[in-house]
Amino acid sequence: MSVKYVPVQWNKNKWGYDAVLVALVVAYILIFIRLGTPAAELARPLDYAILRMRAFGTCAFWMLTIILCIGPLARLDKRFLPVLYNRRHFGVLTTVVAFTHAMYVLGWYFSFSPQSQWLALLSSATGFGQFLGFPIEILGVSALFILAVLSATSHDFWLSFLSAPVWKTLHLLIYAAYVLVVGHVALGYFQDGANLTFATLFALGALTVSGLHLAAWFKERKVDETIIDWVKACRPEDIPDKRAAIVTLSKDERVAIFRSGKSFSAVSNACAHQGGPLGEGKIVYGCVTCPWHGFSYKARNGRSPAPFTEMIPTYNMKLEEGVLYIDRKANQPGTDVEPIIYEVAEDG
Amino acid sequence: MIFTWYIYAGMAVAAVFLLFGLGRLDENAQGAWVFRPLLIPGVLLIWPLVIWRCVILWRGEEKLDRHRMPRRRQERVAVVFACAIPIIIFAAMFVRQDPAALPPPIQLEAAK
Repeated sequence: MSVKYVPVQWNKNKWGYDAVLVALVVAYILIFIRLGTPAAELARPLDYAILRMRAFGTCAFWMLTIILCIGPLARLDKRFLPVLYNRRHFGVLTTVVAFTHAMYVLGWYFSFSPQSQWLALLSSATGFGQFLGFPIEILGVSALFILAVLSATSHDFWLSFLSAPVWKTLHLLIYAAYVLVVGHVALGYFQDGANLTFATLFALGALTVSGLHLAAWFKERKVDETIIDWVKACRPEDIPDKRAAIVTLSKDERVAIFRSGKSFSAVSNACAHQGGPLGEGKIVYGCVTCPWHGFSYKARNGRSPAPFTEMIPTYNMKLEEGVLYIDRKANQPGTDVEPIIYEVAEDG
Repeated sequence: MIFTWYIYAGMAVAAVFLLFGLGRLDENAQGAWVFRPLLIPGVLLIWPLVIWRCVILWRGEEKLDRHRMPRRRQERVAVVFACAIPIIIFAAMFVRQDPAALPPPIQLEAAK
């Protein structure tokens, strides 16, 4: 949680996560180069520089593929939720790997250009009117630019400063970046007829990302958006102590009803930090605690305990015939709402 | 050339924003200086957006739903994205050349 911004909020888990991530990237690069060297044909020698740029390029592709699989996987199966942790560092490292790939390309193909290397890269191919032969360079550079923007705006400050709707809309560009990368590879390395293994793996990876997104959309597409003031939520007994039930009000809005003993309170399901799913967290030391980064809020007013200043909206509730109902209209963030008191008869 | 000037303008915005504007617009940034260099690349790249947000915050015109993620928009974008990928892949497979069908390489000149 933030009182004052710091460069990176390190903790033991993040150090471990990042160390494993870097180790995997290094291992991939080394194995790719090791396997790729003998695979080069004598009649068509593969320069070490080309091998390196392919190693970093394919590594960036796989990293981006994994990042984009995490979201829909977590929506399809809650067991994948822990994988969401620290996805931001994953993304920044992906940008670094992709940038290294671009540097190798510039250094190998455009070192002796009379123009600047970037200008030479973008002006070297001009077949915009054809599919096979389309300048893949511009696709790659555009994707790299988007990744750079997303990494540069990944600090907590940007989410707070831009606001969640603007920040999230900006970060939806990750989809455009992946489409550009798929185009970059599909019309580039994928066309190398000598490398069927990579072509197969590439197609499978990209189609997996596509399939997972469609599956997650199919699962969540049915949402009742009937305009009524009070939305039927659940029975108090359905909520385990110190846990929450998540209620969908519309495709844009979810509410988490938390139970703490006999008290029931409703808050927005979106954490003020990075929009984490609060309803999948639990009540720790009397506060609703986000499962992503541990931001905490008091359930009755949606305010972080002092000295922290984050706030989330609260919702009015009523209990009728043993069923909890939620007022569709959210209160302003930080509004105090008297909890519903209900004695739950515990089994056994 | 245009990009160079864009970055120069971003540098000017970054200097003013990080040195003077930040602490006034975000109380969590008051007295916090170590993290500010990390924001420079972001300001350089999206400085028009930074100016727009500064104006909104300065005028107090911030919307109450600033916490809300645009889930509906994300859903639509994700579906379009998911449909675009197979189209590109299958189109690329369709035009992919079979190396076996290509004529074998010939040596034009003997090595000296």
